[in-house]
This record gives sequence, structure tokens and C-alpha cells, in this order.
Amino acid sequence: METLKYPKVQETLYREVLDNGLEVIVLPKEGFQKTYATFSTKYGSVDNVFAVGDEEAKRVPDGIAHFLEHKMFEEPEGDIFAVFASQGASANAYTTFDRTVYLFSATEKIRENLTTLIDFVQRPYFTDANVDKEKGIIEQEINMYRDNADWRVYFGLIDALYHKHPVHIDIAGTVESIYQIDKETLYRCYETFYHPSNMLLFVVGGVNAEEIMQLVRDNQKAKTFKPQGEIKRFFDEEPTSVKIPRKVSQLPVSLPKCMLGFKEKRVGLEGAEQLKNEVTTKLMLDALVGPSSKLYQSLYERSLISDSFGHEYNSSRDYAFSVLGGDTPDPDALIEGLREGITEAITKGIDQQTFERSKRKKIGSYLRMLNSPESIAGEFTRYRFRDSDMFDVLNFYEACTLDEVNARLREHFDFNQLAVSIVEKTNASE
Amino acid sequence: MTSFQRGQLERIRLHVLPTKRFKTFAISLFAGVPLNEEKVTPIALIPFVLRRGTAKTPETIAFREKLDDLYGAGFGFDVYKRGDSQIVQFRMDVINDQFVSSDQSLLAASISFLGDALTDPCLENGGFRAKYVEAEKATLRKRLEAIVNDKIRYAAERCIEEMCADEPYRLHPLGRLADIDGITPESLYRQYEEWLQSAALDLYVVGDTSLEEVTQLVEKAFKLKPGAPASYVRPKVDVPVRDVKVVVDKMDVSQGKLNMGLRTGISYDDKLYPAVLMYNGILGGYPHSKLFINVREKESLAYYAASRLDGHKGICTIQSGIEFANYEKAVAIIKEQLESMKQGQLSELEMNQTKAMISGHLRELQDSAYEMLSYDFNSVLTGNVRTSAELLEQVQAVTPAEITEVAKRVQLDTIYFLRDRKEA
Repeated sequence: METLKYPKVQETLYREVLDNGLEVIVLPKEGFQKTYATFSTKYGSVDNVFAVGDEEAKRVPDGIAHFLEHKMFEEPEGDIFAVFASQGASANAYTTFDRTVYLFSATEKIRENLTTLIDFVQRPYFTDANVDKEKGIIEQEINMYRDNADWRVYFGLIDALYHKHPVHIDIAGTVESIYQIDKETLYRCYETFYHPSNMLLFVVGGVNAEEIMQLVRDNQKAKTFKPQGEIKRFFDEEPTSVKIPRKVSQLPVSLPKCMLGFKEKRVGLEGAEQLKNEVTTKLMLDALVGPSSKLYQSLYERSLISDSFGHEYNSSRDYAFSVLGGDTPDPDALIEGLREGITEAITKGIDQQTFERSKRKKIGSYLRMLNSPESIAGEFTRYRFRDSDMFDVLNFYEACTLDEVNARLREHFDFNQLAVSIVEKTNASE
Repeated sequence: MTSFQRGQLERIRLHVLPTKRFKTFAISLFAGVPLNEEKVTPIALIPFVLRRGTAKTPETIAFREKLDDLYGAGFGFDVYKRGDSQIVQFRMDVINDQFVSSDQSLLAASISFLGDALTDPCLENGGFRAKYVEAEKATLRKRLEAIVNDKIRYAAERCIEEMCADEPYRLHPLGRLADIDGITPESLYRQYEEWLQSAALDLYVVGDTSLEEVTQLVEKAFKLKPGAPASYVRPKVDVPVRDVKVVVDKMDVSQGKLNMGLRTGISYDDKLYPAVLMYNGILGGYPHSKLFINVREKESLAYYAASRLDGHKGICTIQSGIEFANYEKAVAIIKEQLESMKQGQLSELEMNQTKAMISGHLRELQDSAYEMLSYDFNSVLTGNVRTSAELLEQVQAVTPAEITEVAKRVQLDTIYFLRDRKEA
């Protein structure tokens, strides 16, 4: 067991990679009642063409990672939620573009709950009947999101940005694609991506690191896993350009929603390099369009944006894009206002004072995040699966310079790389 | 476990929990008044205007830059209902100075910021700055109009609005669209002064500090007029139900939203409150609950099917997203669950699971500064001091007979359905 100390933030991590390849991280939090654990596989909605070792690549139906997540909760004895409930734990799971995460939080019976978590994720149970039953439930989940305007404008934007890369496909798939899913394909995906060597267990809370580690070691020793070759993921080549410059849909909303996305031309960054790029870009975006920026205030005063206006930056090895937008009475005026503001910033650059302020703000929000075991576990896993370390984020923020931020600003905002997604209003109600 | 230290400064009650567990200071100020048709809208608008600037820092950009300089201190507010009260909650969180090289006390600077925002606003010509009032009226209007955008929330609001049509509780905490236009910078300022003089005010701080320190800081930072603290009104919970009200709205939606409103007649300070918590938990609070199992798992009718309790108002609501054609079927299945609760069909497993879940939640409160202070605020709100440890014991002691007693009191009041425009 390796001990990793982070004195700046007063945290200590314990880490071990077990013989079967499973990586285990424990972060004891003194005085905390709750223990929060996540068991994650590096497998998300984008992994729809893959092969292991020398086998032939196969395409699987869209939405299968999410479907698999739903089905894992069913055991021959019944629903695993019942077991967690009897042990006082809240359990849940979620699927993102690049990972599937199973989790629980509990204040007692930590050993039992942790064992339940590991065991249920390592024990698939799919039958024709239970797979069929799930289709109706997921169909309602998909329909629920179809009515959600925020979700529609966001995923509409990603669809407008990407031609080929599966990031543009809905995480839950479509009603058509989920009806193609069968138990054989689920088992195949399961066996590929739920091998311990593709997984990470993170435990944070009022726990003793060595006790937790021993429990996991013993649990894994009692199970056998065939050694597995390397997982290969295949992606069709993605053109540099955006797919649809302007994508519009209609929903009964009070105000139109409008999001702008800038697609990076340069991808392929990994590890620390990618982390540095992410930190620099986020700082740049905050300085440019954060709530205390001049651009934000002028758009707010012109009533082109409201409190719903926000920005984010999404990046992985194969895709990266920024998102800016929110509710607006006039999408075209908002697009024009942002275009002018960004063009001006490219010419003038961000000033030293604004930069320092955004930097402080980012450092503060990072430290505040460390109060939340949920955020720590989620963020640590997200960074770990990209071969970087969440605890390096602070160093990168501290080291970031104004020149780097301005260089990033000029590189990132290329209006040829812009796509816009708009949800227009239909009549609200009768 | 240390507990809240209490103090008082003029009209503000102070509640301070000294702890080293967090990397931050969490600060919350609650200002509550009885929900009132005429006042709900201007009161909702007040915090929107206050967050635009102060007498010392009138420009919004400079006001926000101050927060950024405090290592991006969080500053926000919420306006919501608890029982029959309209509560404005200001929130700040700022990191503990020891983690950064700061030349000022971040706690002192934050309390000073909050004091200025609340008690020393930016004024002109005997009112709030007109530009801010107009802009924030537009913001409030957009917020009210936007309720329809989230269909799950919209259906929940509509259900309550219909169910409580004759009570102040029908009012949305952000007020009424029709009342926004008539507000002027002067009328709003008068309303603000009245509000500050009449509201129940409670300031909470959780972090590495003490009551003495906070008292001194508040004394310096808040411009307070003399007076005594106000208390909260008791909400009306015993509203008789006649016939079940059925309301259908039509809109361009892909999925139907089915909501039901139930009256328990049991308030937070009732001795049956722990039993009503158990009732809600067994009915629909969790993935092991009757609604989840019967509506989702057995029938595949929905992705979500759950119940929620407003413990102060004694109202339990059920919500689910279903296909339009499954309306009758879903209503029938949900009614069967309510009936089985009345019949006392409670397994030992359901009892144990639900007790374990509620207990876990009550223990977890200790890990979050905001959860701790929000829980403690329930005592202020109801005048009924019950620590989370006491409530935990009471929940553990709840018997099936008590839950059945609750179930027998529960009355279905309203069924609300949001559906598409096509004919059924």
C-alpha cells in the first residue's frame, strides 16, 4: 500500500493496485460520519466499437453502457437496492461519455456495504426476460429527457459539433437502439469492460485505510478473473470542422435557449498535458465570460442573458469543446454579442488584474470542492481515467500564467469551429 | 460533537457551530415572513436587487470582484416556502484562511460583505437604484416564466397550486407575474424596510470560529435598528379534504407527468412526525419503496415514481413520468399502494430498510455544514427543539401501528396530470 501525502490541502491518500489489476484508493476523512465509495469502470457511451487483444472489432448498439448500468442492479435474489437499504446505504449509479460509476453512501455497516458494492458489480445476471423488462423503463427515461429543454440544447450542441465521434450520441441511446440490445451483447460488453484491470475503487470517509484495503484484497482473492488482453477502442476519423453550424429544435419553453460550442482543432493531449490545457482553458473562460466579467455584465444589462448563462469546458483525448450559453430572448443577438466580445478580447487580451482574480476564484472553488466526498470521488476517478491526478489541479492553477491564458484564448476561439444549438419556443400551454 | 452556540444582536438570532472539520466557513442568513398574496412578489424581488451592489460598492462588477478576491467566495440566495412562510436564505461560503496566503481574515470580510448586502444597499432618490430594480424585475419575470421549462417541476408546482387553491401555500415563493410591473424603486425600498423590520432573522456560521468572534463581526458589519427577534407562524396543516380534485393540463410534451397531493394533517412538531417520515419512506422515498417497486420494477410504467414529504406543511406528494395511455393504470396502482398502507401491509423488511435509510441520512447531516445548519433551522421554524440524534431515536422506535395510524389519516386531495394535446 502506497501513501500519497498532499500537505497543501491536508489530505492523505492510500493506493494499491491488486494482483488482478484493480486499483484501490482510500482517502480517510477524520470526523466524517459518512463513507462514500465508488466502483468505476472506464467504459462509457462512446465505447461502442471495441476489441480485446487480437479479436475482431465489433460495433454494439448505442446506449448499451447505460443499459448495462441499469441491469447490474438486478441479482438472482432480486433487486440490490433492497440489500443496500437493509444495510442503511443509499446506492446509485451513473453513466457518462467515458465511465460508468456505481456508488453508495452509508454511515454504518461499511464493511457489508462495500462488500455488497464490489460483489454486485462483479456478478452480472442478465436474462431475456429481465433485459426486455428494462426496455420500457429506459424508454421512459429517454422520453423524460426529450422533454427537458436544457438537456436538448446541450446534447443538440454536441451533435452539431461532431460528425463521427460517438460523443454526439445520447448516453442512453435511442428508443430504437435500446430495443436491439440482448443479453448476449450485454455479457460481451460486461466481460470486456468490467475486468478488474479496467476498474477503480475509491473509498472516502471516516475509515481506516489498512482495514479497507485488507477487505478488498480478501474479497478479490476469493474470485478468479481470466487475464485479459488490452482493450482497444475504435473511433472513425473525426473531421476538424463542425457538423452543423446551426441546429434548431422546438419545445414549449418560456424563452429560447441558445448554446455556442467551439470545437478544438488540436486533440490527442494526454495526462498532465491535457490537465494543464483544461485548467488554462477554464481559467480563460472564467476571465472572459464569468459572472464578474465585463462581457457578462454588458450582456446581462442588455437583457440578452440571465442567471442561467454559464460556460464549461469538456475534454478528453479524442474530443474537446467549450460550451457557452443559456436562456435568451434573442439567440442571434446573443451570438453576435458574444462574437463581438470574444473578438475584442482576442485583440486586447485578458488583463493582469482580471487574470489574478479568476485564478483566486478557481483556487477557492477547488478547495471548496474538497469538502465534498462525492465530488472528490467523482473528480478523482474522472482524472485518473485520463491518466492525471486531481490533486495536481491546484498546482496547475497556481502555476498558470497570463501569457498562457491569452495564448489559449487566441488558439481556442476560432469562429470557423463554432456551432450553435437553439431550442425555440412553441406555444407553452392551452 | 459540539453544538450550536446561541446569541442575539438586536433583531438577529445568532447560531454558531465551532468546528475544524471543514476547509470553509459556511454562512447562512434566513429571513422569513408569513406568505402573503400582496407581499410575496416584492419580497421575492428584494434579494435579486440586493445582489446588484451596495452603498459602498454600487457597481455590480466591483461587487462581484470583491467576492472573487475572497478566493471566489460563494454568495447566493434562495427564496422558498417552509410551512406557510416565505423564506429568503442568503448563503456564503469562503475558504478558511489557513489554506491560502491571504492578508485579510476571510470570515471577517465575508460577514462584512453579507452585512453590507443586506443592510446597506445601493440607493438613489429615496429608493433602490432604478436601473437595478428594472433589470431584476425582468430577471424575476424570466424566472417565473421559466418554471414551465422543467416539466417535472412544473407539474409539481401546478399540483400544489390546485391542491392549496384556498391557502397562501398555493403561492409560488417567487411571487406572481402580474404583480411585477407595478413595483417601483421607491415602493420596493419601503417594502424592504418593512421586511427587514418584521422578518424573523437567523444568522448561522459553521466553521473554525466562535460565537464571540461572530457577534463582534456582525455588530460591526450589519446596520441594525433596535428591536427584538420575530418568530415564525405555525402553518395550517389540518385542512379538510372533500372530493378528490382531478386536474389535467395539456402541452406539447413527450411524456405524461402524473402528480398526486396527499394531506397527512401532521406537522413537524407533532408526535407522529417520525411516523410520517417512515410512511413517506415506505411509500415512495427510496428505490426499495412501494412506488418504485410496483410502478417501475413490476410494471415498467415509469423511470421515476417517488413520494416526497413537506414535513412543515404536512403534505406528501407523489410524482411519476409515464406514457399518456398508462394514466388510468398508473393511478390505480398508486391508489393500491395507498390502500395497502392503510391496511397495515408493512413487512418487517420494509420497516428495517426504511429505518436504516432515514437513520443514515440523519447521521450524514453531520458531514455537511449546510445540512447541519438547515436541520437546526427547523427548530427555529417550529419552536420545537429536536436534535438529529433525538429524531433518529424516535424514528427507530416507530411501530407499524403508528404508521398505519398515519396512513389512515392520509387523504388523497388532488390528482394532477400533464399530458399532450392529442385526444385521450
